Amino acid sequence: MSQPVTPRRTTRSSAVSAPDPASPTSPSKSRPKPTPRRQLIPTDVAKEEEEGEGEHERSTIDALLEALPGRRAQATDLLRLLAPAPALPLLLHGGAATGKTRALLLALRHILPRPRRVAYAALRSLPSPRALFASLLTQLSPPSSSSASSRLRVPDKPSDFVAALRDALAGLSAQGEAVYLVFDNLEVVRSWDKSGQLLTLLLRLYDLLRLPQVVLVYVSSATPDAYYSMTGSVEPSHIYFPDYTVDEVRDILMRGHPNPKLYSSFLSVALKPLFRVTRRVDELVAALEPLFRRYCEPLGDLKAVLDESIRRRLFEHIQPHLAAALNETFSVPMRASVDKCNDHSSGGKVISKRQFGSRDSLSTELEFHMSVSAKYLLLSAFLASRNPATLDAALFDSTGGSDNHKRKRKSSQASLNMKDTMLEEMLMKGPGTFPLERLLAIFQCITSVSEDALGDVECPDSMMTGSGMTGLMSDVLLQLSTLCNSNFLSKSRSCPLEGSARYRSNIDEDLALKVARSVSFPLSKYIYRR
Amino acid sequence: MAAASVASQAQAVLRGRLCNPGFVHSALRSSPDTNYSKLKYLVASSVSEACNNSVLLLGPRGCGKAAVVDMVLDDLKKEHPDAISVIRLNGMLHSDDNCAMKEIARQLCLEHQLSFSKMASSDDNTEFMIDMLRECGLAHKTILFVLEEFDLFAQGKQRLLYSLLDAMQSLTSQAVVIGVSCRLDADQLLEKRVRSRFSHRKLLFVPSPLDDIQRLVEHLLVLTKDSGLPAQYITDYNSRLTNIFIDNKFKGCLNSLMDADATTSNILRFLFRAVSYMNMESGFLSMECFQKALSSMQRQPKTDSLQDLSILELYILVCMHRLEDKEQSSYNFTSIMKEYRSIQDAYKTSDKYSSTVCFRAFEHLLDRELISFGDNRGRNQALEYRSVKLLISSRELAQSLKLNTTCPAVLQKLLDRERYM
Repeated sequence: MSQPVTPRRTTRSSAVSAPDPASPTSPSKSRPKPTPRRQLIPTDVAKEEEEGEGEHERSTIDALLEALPGRRAQATDLLRLLAPAPALPLLLHGGAATGKTRALLLALRHILPRPRRVAYAALRSLPSPRALFASLLTQLSPPSSSSASSRLRVPDKPSDFVAALRDALAGLSAQGEAVYLVFDNLEVVRSWDKSGQLLTLLLRLYDLLRLPQVVLVYVSSATPDAYYSMTGSVEPSHIYFPDYTVDEVRDILMRGHPNPKLYSSFLSVALKPLFRVTRRVDELVAALEPLFRRYCEPLGDLKAVLDESIRRRLFEHIQPHLAAALNETFSVPMRASVDKCNDHSSGGKVISKRQFGSRDSLSTELEFHMSVSAKYLLLSAFLASRNPATLDAALFDSTGGSDNHKRKRKSSQASLNMKDTMLEEMLMKGPGTFPLERLLAIFQCITSVSEDALGDVECPDSMMTGSGMTGLMSDVLLQLSTLCNSNFLSKSRSCPLEGSARYRSNIDEDLALKVARSVSFPLSKYIYRR
Repeated sequence: MAAASVASQAQAVLRGRLCNPGFVHSALRSSPDTNYSKLKYLVASSVSEACNNSVLLLGPRGCGKAAVVDMVLDDLKKEHPDAISVIRLNGMLHSDDNCAMKEIARQLCLEHQLSFSKMASSDDNTEFMIDMLRECGLAHKTILFVLEEFDLFAQGKQRLLYSLLDAMQSLTSQAVVIGVSCRLDADQLLEKRVRSRFSHRKLLFVPSPLDDIQRLVEHLLVLTKDSGLPAQYITDYNSRLTNIFIDNKFKGCLNSLMDADATTSNILRFLFRAVSYMNMESGFLSMECFQKALSSMQRQPKTDSLQDLSILELYILVCMHRLEDKEQSSYNFTSIMKEYRSIQDAYKTSDKYSSTVCFRAFEHLLDRELISFGDNRGRNQALEYRSVKLLISSRELAQSLKLNTTCPAVLQKLLDRERYM
């Protein structure tokens, strides 16, 4: 897979660990436990620097700008604001996947009075203040005493931490060389317990330490106004990282591509439409990669000369796929192995999107993955969530509720208005919750109805129909937990009055209808329309 | 090459000055009737007259309260090297009474070359502090307590403040408590028993007027003969700088900067940026440096991130805005989608996407904090049913649509039409 831009995670680790392939861990893996100290600054480059200053200086800056496409202004700002040691704190902010961390770490390698040490703490991977303190102190402790420091007690309280940090830093910066402390993903702290306390501590470190040789750098995807109330006497100066423009994205994607001609003609077709949907490079890469493979399909020889007719043919070939790609967040290839799926989804935020993703991807090939009883269970859960409980008796009477059209009344203006507000309310509230008993009752009703239909077609033997019913019921709780785990249903907190858990269905009507069709169940008859 | 190295030397000197609060506020030393001279008189007289005292320094952040305290303490240490010892506490770190007592005991031990026991209880530490106060009083030695973030000590039971101030009531003790806080009502937070033991001396720090700031800028940027740079360079540099200072554009820069925030720290940040932008080729500060620094400080984060949105994300924002204009009290992703579909049906644009793609755009907006969930209720509810709200004004949205060159005309129309309707 030729990937022009590495995704976030690898960017981060490669930016740091690339210079030193022997380094055992990458910062993205830095966990609460004291990690082995990493050499952030390549020693060989440091040696080179000492020899020729003049032109060498210029060429390293050029190399830096070359490594950061589209980030020229930000990189020069960084170099200027970080460089000779006494510096005010700095805050890098900008959206996700705009190259903040990469630019910072590369710039730290290029700044000229070489920093004595760089301590990098990604708060996303350090889930507690204690872990953060431990990581910082181990990174700052002198290498000789690394074994001794691991035995040292990790400070719990902010006061102990600041004292320990000051001791560590005073030793390091006594020679007048700079120490850089980098706090990445500052925004995640806001959702922690006692977040205010830790954030103010971090943002006021400049006031607390009062060591001129220590430069503090914060990286955050949240805008600076999130931190205004927490800063101390010195607010950090800001550097904004805007999202890439179309041309910059094209440059980034084109970098190091093995077949630049073909790829650029592909990008001229595919990039603009996708760019209207999302501007994040990581998502664009994930979407473009399978599309490009499709684009190449009609070509026998990838090195063939591209003339206008071939280009048109390729365009016509890609057009339907492009339209499809615009409407999906990530594609699950048919008959693909599981790890390949994981590959595709790893770029985005899988956890939060799982509910949506699973719904969409499964809707096409649901038939192959779900047992009949699970489908019925899903349908009954859907009905239980959508219909008011008071109507259950009317809908599921002994005849199977097929005669509910009789109950319609004439609607007056007032009731129409009421209907509107009800509809609005339903849109706001979303699906309702239901207890397990209600789900089982509905399940029993709808299976008993469809059983007749099923029985006629598939199992003419009456014995089989009878046992089929109990077969469906036997492991229903197991099925239920499976559905819960796969996020089709969600189990909410137990109701304080009844004490038992309540469930809610997460699927939308389209999917429910699709499922109903697959088991030829007349779902629309049972949905209560207001 | 040589010019560049001189320039970077000069830049290093200037940066060092800007990052050194002692240098920034050193101009105060010479002028009478400042907070510096008042505080110094107060503390010096309590040291020489062997009495107890307490004072609060109040004012917004970044006005140099802590720097003034530092300068006064430095001066006093030079004048009375043996007669004072300083204990520093910070409300952010030591607001817990036990922890603060321990820290006081630790610093007292450090000052007087005693061995500090980590195992000592809080009562032991309190007793130790009272004993030390008496001993120091008998030896005519003043203990200065500097309590930064004073308001945070006033949380809870204020046991620390009480025991500290109560110990100072005896005739034998000799101590000064200097409280530093950015809350102007810090003394109102004190309990009655603490307040009655507190002398109500307050020094108020306010942002300086324009004249003082101009003097400060000159003090910070003009190079002196003793900075170790070539004399020719210094004269060239200073003459260029004075030209900039009398320029009206520069005054305009300073004015617009101070309109937003007139604290010293804000000025320092501005100067630091300007100095960092110094042209290394010529080696001098120019008007462009200051203008560039000003424009980088006046960025509007919200407007910036509005410019970074994709077309679909803008559609969602416009839909939300339309819903708000309809005075719909609360709405969520499903109602936004309904609005979005109705717009797409009405205008038949090419930007009709599936709801999953829209949801991803919606999540991006949440990430950028241009929208947020309306309440914390229903955390276990699916995201698309939680009510959301816009965090930007209609003016900001309209402006960003206008600035966005790729924005389709329909969007602009959708926003405009309802504004005038």
